Amino acid sequence: MIYRKFLLILLILLSGTISVTAQKEKSKMFSISGKVTDIQNGESLIGATIYITEKKTGTVSDIYGNYSISLSPGEYTVTISYIGYAPVIKTITLNKDVSLRVELSTRQENLKEVEITSEKTNKNVARPEMSTFKLDMKTIETIPALFGEVDIIKAIQMLPGVQSVSEGSSGFSVRGGAPDQNLILLDDATVYNASHLLGFFSVFNNDAIKDVKLYKGDIPAAYGGRLASVLDIHMDEGNSKVFEINGGIGLISSRLTVEGPILKDRCSFIVSGRRTYADLYLPLSSNKALQNNKLYFYDLNAKINYKIGDNDQVFLSGYFGRDVFKNGFAGMQWGNGTGSARWNHLFSSKVFGNFSAVYSDYRYRISAGGSDVSGFQWDASLKDFGMKGDISYFLDPNNTVKFGISSTYHMIDPGVAKGTGTSVFNEVKVPKNYALESGIYAGNEQKIGQKFIVKYGLRLSLFQNIGPGTVYHYNSNYFTTGSSYYSSGKIFNTYYGIEPRLGILYEFNELSSVKASYARTNQYMQLAQNSTVGTPLDIWFPSSPNVKPQLCDQVAAGYFRNFRHNTIETSVEVYYKWMQHVIDFKDFAVLLLNDSLEGQLRVGKAWSYGAEFLIRLNEKKLSGWVSYTYSRVFRQIPLINDGKTYPAPYDKPNNVAIVLNYKISRRIMVSANWVYATGNPLTFPIGRAEIGNKIIPIYSDRNAYRYQAYHRLDISATLFSKPKPGKKFTWDLNFSVYNVYNRHNTWSIEFTQNNADPNVTDATKVYLFGIIPSITFNFHFNHE
Amino acid sequence: MNKRIPIILAVAILAASCTEKINLKLDSTYTRLIVDGHIKSDPGTYSINLTKTSDYFANVPSPRLVNAMVSLTDGTTTFPLTETIPGISGVYNTEPAFAGKIGKNYTLNITLPEALAGTTQYSASSELIGVTKLDSIQTVFRPDIGKEGHWLVKLFAQDPPGSKNYYMINLYRNSKLWTDTITKVSVSDNQFFAGNYINGIDVFYINNEHKWETLYVGDTVMMELSAITKEYYDFVQQVQQAGISIPIFSGPPANVIGNVSNNGVGFFSAYSSSFAKTIVK
Repeated sequence: MIYRKFLLILLILLSGTISVTAQKEKSKMFSISGKVTDIQNGESLIGATIYITEKKTGTVSDIYGNYSISLSPGEYTVTISYIGYAPVIKTITLNKDVSLRVELSTRQENLKEVEITSEKTNKNVARPEMSTFKLDMKTIETIPALFGEVDIIKAIQMLPGVQSVSEGSSGFSVRGGAPDQNLILLDDATVYNASHLLGFFSVFNNDAIKDVKLYKGDIPAAYGGRLASVLDIHMDEGNSKVFEINGGIGLISSRLTVEGPILKDRCSFIVSGRRTYADLYLPLSSNKALQNNKLYFYDLNAKINYKIGDNDQVFLSGYFGRDVFKNGFAGMQWGNGTGSARWNHLFSSKVFGNFSAVYSDYRYRISAGGSDVSGFQWDASLKDFGMKGDISYFLDPNNTVKFGISSTYHMIDPGVAKGTGTSVFNEVKVPKNYALESGIYAGNEQKIGQKFIVKYGLRLSLFQNIGPGTVYHYNSNYFTTGSSYYSSGKIFNTYYGIEPRLGILYEFNELSSVKASYARTNQYMQLAQNSTVGTPLDIWFPSSPNVKPQLCDQVAAGYFRNFRHNTIETSVEVYYKWMQHVIDFKDFAVLLLNDSLEGQLRVGKAWSYGAEFLIRLNEKKLSGWVSYTYSRVFRQIPLINDGKTYPAPYDKPNNVAIVLNYKISRRIMVSANWVYATGNPLTFPIGRAEIGNKIIPIYSDRNAYRYQAYHRLDISATLFSKPKPGKKFTWDLNFSVYNVYNRHNTWSIEFTQNNADPNVTDATKVYLFGIIPSITFNFHFNHE
Repeated sequence: MNKRIPIILAVAILAASCTEKINLKLDSTYTRLIVDGHIKSDPGTYSINLTKTSDYFANVPSPRLVNAMVSLTDGTTTFPLTETIPGISGVYNTEPAFAGKIGKNYTLNITLPEALAGTTQYSASSELIGVTKLDSIQTVFRPDIGKEGHWLVKLFAQDPPGSKNYYMINLYRNSKLWTDTITKVSVSDNQFFAGNYINGIDVFYINNEHKWETLYVGDTVMMELSAITKEYYDFVQQVQQAGISIPIFSGPPANVIGNVSNNGVGFFSAYSSSFAKTIVK
C-alpha cells in the first residue's frame, strides 16, 4: 500500500524532471562516455575528472570508473585526470556518440607531466558536494599508525568534524552523532561492528581496500538508514593484467594479498588475509595467568570481477573476520561476515545501472566453565539480506538523474544463553526480531547557467516490523504491563520517512565557490550500548511500536577556495543539526539478555553545531591536511540528568589535526601527525556515602566535568627499495613512533578507596599507550 | 551465569594499561542522610547506622548522625530502636532477640534532631522474604585459573519454582565474616536457573594470590544464603558497579538508588537466611 504511494511519488518526480528537460533538448546532443582505469592493474578509478576545456565543464567517474557527458556537436579537448596519475588529453570530433576508454598511469617518468600541465582538479570547488572527504589507500598508508598497523578508521578520525570516541577505539562520532549513527558500507554491505581487539584495530585490511569516502552531511539520496554519516568503502578489484603478491610483516600482524588476472583484461581476483600474533608472545609472559591466554584476530577479503562485455561487469566480494579471546576460564569470540554480488550494466552511453545483492552478519559468543556445572554459552547475532538497484541517467550536460530502490531484511537474535555440559542453567532466550527496511529515491543534479548547480532529491524510507515478534507494553514508568505476540509473517508495525536532500553550489570562478545543503535522515536500527567506548557485545535493536525512528535535520554551508593550481584546497564549513527521538539509557541499564530492553531506553532530543576549517595539501612533495574544528553537541532527555541539558559523551569543542607527509627523495618519505582535542566530558563524584564498609560516590550532573585535553604526536619514516623500471620485487620498510612525547592521555579515571586507609579516596588515571615505536616491512612482487 | 564475564575478560586485556594517581579538584554537593542496616528473621540485636554524606575527598569517616528518633513498624506493631551511646555513636539497635516475620513489610521511621536537606522525616521499607534451604556447600581448588589458582565455593540448594527470586550470599571463614564489604557479597537473581536444583554453582572465586583472604586446608567455611527483595538486589548490584568504571563496559556513572525517602542515601533491608558449613579439604 505504502509502497504504491512511494512509487507514485517517485514517478511524478521523475516525469517532472524528464518533461522539463525534454523541452530543452531541441538541438541534437551527443555523448562522450566510457571508463577510466589504471593502466598498471586494470582497476577502475573512482572520481577521476573528465574536463571539457571549450565548455569549461566536466564530470567525474562513478564508483565503477564509468562516466558520461553530453554535448552539442563540435570539436572538444577532453582532459582525463586523477590525483597521482598523469592526465590524458584527447581531441574529439563529436558528431556521433563517442566511447572513450581511458587508462591512466602513475609511472614515475610520466609524473613530471603532471606538474607541467597543471590540469584542473578543482572538484572540491566545482562539484555540488560538500561535507565529504575522500581518502585513497596511498594517503592512508603514509599516516603513522599505532603498532605500525595502518588503519582506515584511525585515518578517518583525524578528519575535521570526526572525533574518536576514546583513545585507540574504532568508534567515531561525526558532527556530534553517536558511533551507531554511522553507516559503514563495505562493497554495499553494512558492517555492523568495525572493531578488532576492542577497537584498537578496525576490520578493514588496508591491502584489500581501494578507497574510502566519508559523507559527514549532504548525504546523497541513495543512502539512508543512519543519522550522522556514511562511510563508503570499496574493496580492491584485483589486477587484471599481471599477478601480484603484496605482503607485510609487522609487530602485531602479518598480511598477504594475492591478485591477478583469471582472463587477461576481463576477469581478475584478489584474496587478502591478515592475522595477528600478539598471543604468540603471551607464553613468554612472566604472568602465569596470561600464558594460557589466546588473543588474536584474523581477516579474509576476496573479490572477483568479470567484464562480460563492454557493457557488463560482475563483481563478487566477501569479507570474513573473527576475534578470539580465551583463557583457562572463559572465552569470547566475535566477528563480521559480508558478501556482495553486483552487476554493473551500461544500458546506453547515458544510462548506467548497478544492481546488488548483499549479505551481512555480525555475531558474538561468550562461553565459560566448559562442561562444568557452571558452564554456559551465550550467542547473539544479527543478519541482513538486502537487494538494491541504482540507475544514473546522464540526461544532458546540465542534468544527471539518479534513482533507485533498496530493501533489506534484518534478522536480529539479541541473545540466547544456555548451560553446557552438566550445567544447571536454563536456556534464557530473548525473542528474535525481524524487520524489513526499504528505500526508494530519485534525484537530479542540475546545472543552471555557468555559475549555479542545484541538487535536489527525495528519499522515501519504509520500515516494517515483521512477526514472529513479541512487543511488550510499558507504562509511563517504563514497567512492563503486558505483551502482544504477532505470528510469523505478520507486519505489525510500519514507519515511513520522507527525506529531502538538497544542495546548491555557486561558483565564483574556477578557484572558489560557496555551497549549502540540507538533508533529513531517518534511523531505524540502533545499538544498545551505553559504554562510551564500544564493546564486541553489540545488540542492535530496531524501531518498533515502542521505539520511534530517530530523525535528523542537518543544514550546512561552506566556502571553498583553491590555491596554486589546485594543489592547495581550503574550505570552511558550518553546520547545525537537530536530532529527534535520540536514545540514551536509564541509569544502570541492563542491556544484555534483557527481553524488556525497550524499557531501559530513554528518548529525547539532541542538537549539535560546529565549524570546520580545512587546508588540504597536494603538492608534489608535501601532502596532507591541517584542520581545526569547533563543535558542540548536547542532549536533553526526560528522566536523564533530571531532564536538564547535558553535553553528549562526544562533545569535545576544540579539535586540531595536522597530518603531513613529505617525500624527501624517491626512496625516503617522512610523515607526522599531531592531534589535539578537548577532553571527553565526564561525570565525577562530588560527595560520598559510606555503606557496607564501602565508599559510595554521589555524582555531579551528567558530564559536568572533563578529562584533560588529549594531544599526541606520531611520526614515521619509510624507506623504499631502489626504483628501477621493470623491477619485479619491491619493498619498503616503515619505522614509526606513536605518541612521540609520551603523553599520558587519560583513558579513564577510577575512584578507589586507599588500601592502607579505607577512609581515603584516590583518583587514579588510566592511560593506555605511552611512547610506542614499531617497524613494518612491506613487499610487493609482480609476475609479468 | 555471570553477566560480568566480559568485564573479567576486558580487565585481562587491559592488564597492560598503566595507571597513575592524580589530583582533582571537585565541587561539593548538599549533605544527605545515609541509612545502612538490616533486620533478619533470626532472633538477634540488629543495628541501623545513621551517618551524613561528605565531600568526595573528605578522607575521614562519614560524620555520625546522633540523637535521632528511630523506630521500626510492621504495620501493626512498632519496635523502638535506641542509640547505643546516646549522642555519640549514631548506631541504633533493636531490642535483643528481635526477630522479623516472613511475609511482613517493615518500615524504618527516622526523625532527625535537626533538618537535613530540608527535612527531619525519613523512612525506608522492605519486605521480609522467606528463603529456600541451603543444602550444602563445597570448596574446590582450581590451579588453572590465575597465577596461583583460585578457590571456588559451590552452592547446593533448590530454587523454589514459580517465582522470580533474588539471593544474597555471604561467606564466613573460621566464624569471621569473609564478605566484610558490600562489594565482596555475591548477589544473583534466578534468571538462569529458575525452579532448578542448584547443583553446585560457583558463587565465590577466591584468588589464592590474596594470602590475607584465601582459604587454607582445615578452615571452616560457612555460607549464608539470603532471600532479598528486587530493590535490594538492584541496590547491591549498583553499589558494586559504582566502584568500577571501565570505559569499555560501563555505562555513565550514576547515583545508586536506595530505598530511603526524601533523597536519603543507602538501604534498610529485611531478609531471612539459611546456613551451611564445610571444612576445606
